Amino acid sequence: MRLFKLLIVSIVLSANAWAETVTFVTCPIYRDTDSGRKSGCWLADDPATQIRYDVSAAPMKPLLGKKILVEGVVSDDSNACGGTPLRPVRTSILDQACEAVMIPAEGFAGRRFAVPSDAQRPTWEARQLPPPPYITTEFHIFFNHDSDFLVYQHAEIVMEKALLYAKASHAREVQVIGYAVTKPVTASGERFKESIVLARSRAEAVRLSLNRLGIEPAQLKVSWKASGQPVESPMIPTATASLRRVTIRVIPAASQR
Amino acid sequence: SNCPTLPQAEEQSHSLLLNRGLIRVARPWPPRDSTGKIIEPQFTIEVVRDPTTCNLDKTYGIHSKTPMVSVYRRPRPATNTKYLTAAGFNFDPKNGFPLPRDSETGELINGNITADARVPTLFAQTRDAMRSHLQTQGIADEAAVKDIVKFMEGLYTAQQVDQAAGALNDGANGGPATLRDMREGDLQGGPTPIWMEYYPWLNIKGGGIDNNAQAERRRSIARGAEIFSKRMFLIDDSMGINNMGFGSPVRNGCAFCHNMQHTGMDVAPGQVDLGTTNSPHADPAPDLPLFKLTCKPDMPPHPFLGRVIYTQDPGYALTTGKCADIGKITIQQMRGLAARAPYFSNGSAKTLRDLVDFYDRRYHMNLSPQEKQDLINLMGVL
Repeated sequence: MRLFKLLIVSIVLSANAWAETVTFVTCPIYRDTDSGRKSGCWLADDPATQIRYDVSAAPMKPLLGKKILVEGVVSDDSNACGGTPLRPVRTSILDQACEAVMIPAEGFAGRRFAVPSDAQRPTWEARQLPPPPYITTEFHIFFNHDSDFLVYQHAEIVMEKALLYAKASHAREVQVIGYAVTKPVTASGERFKESIVLARSRAEAVRLSLNRLGIEPAQLKVSWKASGQPVESPMIPTATASLRRVTIRVIPAASQR
Repeated sequence: SNCPTLPQAEEQSHSLLLNRGLIRVARPWPPRDSTGKIIEPQFTIEVVRDPTTCNLDKTYGIHSKTPMVSVYRRPRPATNTKYLTAAGFNFDPKNGFPLPRDSETGELINGNITADARVPTLFAQTRDAMRSHLQTQGIADEAAVKDIVKFMEGLYTAQQVDQAAGALNDGANGGPATLRDMREGDLQGGPTPIWMEYYPWLNIKGGGIDNNAQAERRRSIARGAEIFSKRMFLIDDSMGINNMGFGSPVRNGCAFCHNMQHTGMDVAPGQVDLGTTNSPHADPAPDLPLFKLTCKPDMPPHPFLGRVIYTQDPGYALTTGKCADIGKITIQQMRGLAARAPYFSNGSAKTLRDLVDFYDRRYHMNLSPQEKQDLINLMGVL
């Protein structure tokens, strides 16, 4: 099953490799569409091409009046917002003020919000442990540029999967490896790089979280690196974006490997 | 009183309690963690206005030997406590971490006790109250602490009868029994919106003059319940909501934050800055202290308010020392509202109408007069 999933991801990423990716810095625009809760549209104009993109699918939405770094893959989603949809897409909020621009719906409906199918379940619902066989498995948590904030409806889902796998496999070790984009990348003429300190703080945030969730300190091995290899994920638009992450590597007990 | 050093026999010394229903809460400065260790704050604090004299007092002020910041808050109802401590999910999306566990009880700490989440459990809150409000000396009598907590845990409070609507469990599910019998920590939404206790009254019909008036009040309450969960508007620049990934603005409703079934609390740790205490949104309050908080140059500024923030109550920031937490106040339960005006932690809304008007103004909800009245009628029977 796992091999099948990897195959699917590879196909998707291969498709993405041929798909158009964009990276630029811009001031976000909010279009006030109304298809119920959380249905507003976020738009971003690429300053180089003046193409308007729909970045509403970003897991961390922009703040009006603050510039964003956009990294996305052009998709064939419907044009519900008045921009070329990007999916997957990340919008990292930058510490640069800009004009707060809100525009009316102008006939665009926006998209109805749907709770992710793998959203975390309430505490009183019993969890199911994954079945054997158990092999060394990696789980990835992704971050925005220059951020160590664990993003809602992503980080807790990944960490719970890692926790359940560690429990089921009686993990002898849970490695937490933090990464950062320490080599500069350029977008819209601006250079972006992250500090190795951020790789550490990301790793420490996940370590604290896994400990709170029930993984014993003795099981946790934390490290951080200035550079790493990109990883594949359907939620990540570019190889660079995949480097802003923490990898949780669960190593099962010897008898189960 | 406004301050222990004021002449206690004089009415003016108790003006904030008498006029606004506020109790003085003294927080150590700088903040301390649960072990008593100092937390290095991200901001400096200056006292700009000190009408109660306590914040610049030699014994109780910010420059005293045991520095304290005195803020003035409404007491919170010590009832329906299983909802106050409920942990519906084990992740705090506002801070981006799983909930911690209390070392004493082993329970998840949901962060919803007290306006500034300064105590993790009802036991800790009881000890804190005994020391600060009852002014007990020495170590708390643990038998008394347990008795107090057990007493609080046995209390369920909600309005049972309304003068206009009649018995609130007549065809609907108002009243305290619902709170006692239902599960705590449930998230509202979808087929189970909050306040659906009153949905059976949506299309209720009446007969006769008196019954028509009662029926109309009941329908209004039910409409208020629908408005509460379905009426959408743009929520912006509110720390504890917009900064956790939803973006600013975000389209949602009252139930976005007031999302715990049966109480209207937040299932997540509910520290949010609506602007009830921070400039520019707070109502002027010359009888309350005013503080100037300046985020240190090497610390991240407040995402919406910048580096210099004027506030009547730093709120959660007095617990964490973080700029991003300035003015955040824990969302409280909405039961028994008709009995406990004024509202908001600083008593700035004298009536339910004032409360609704604040939200209408703050978030440009453009509520119609009927919508406002329906919401008031709903909140008046909780």
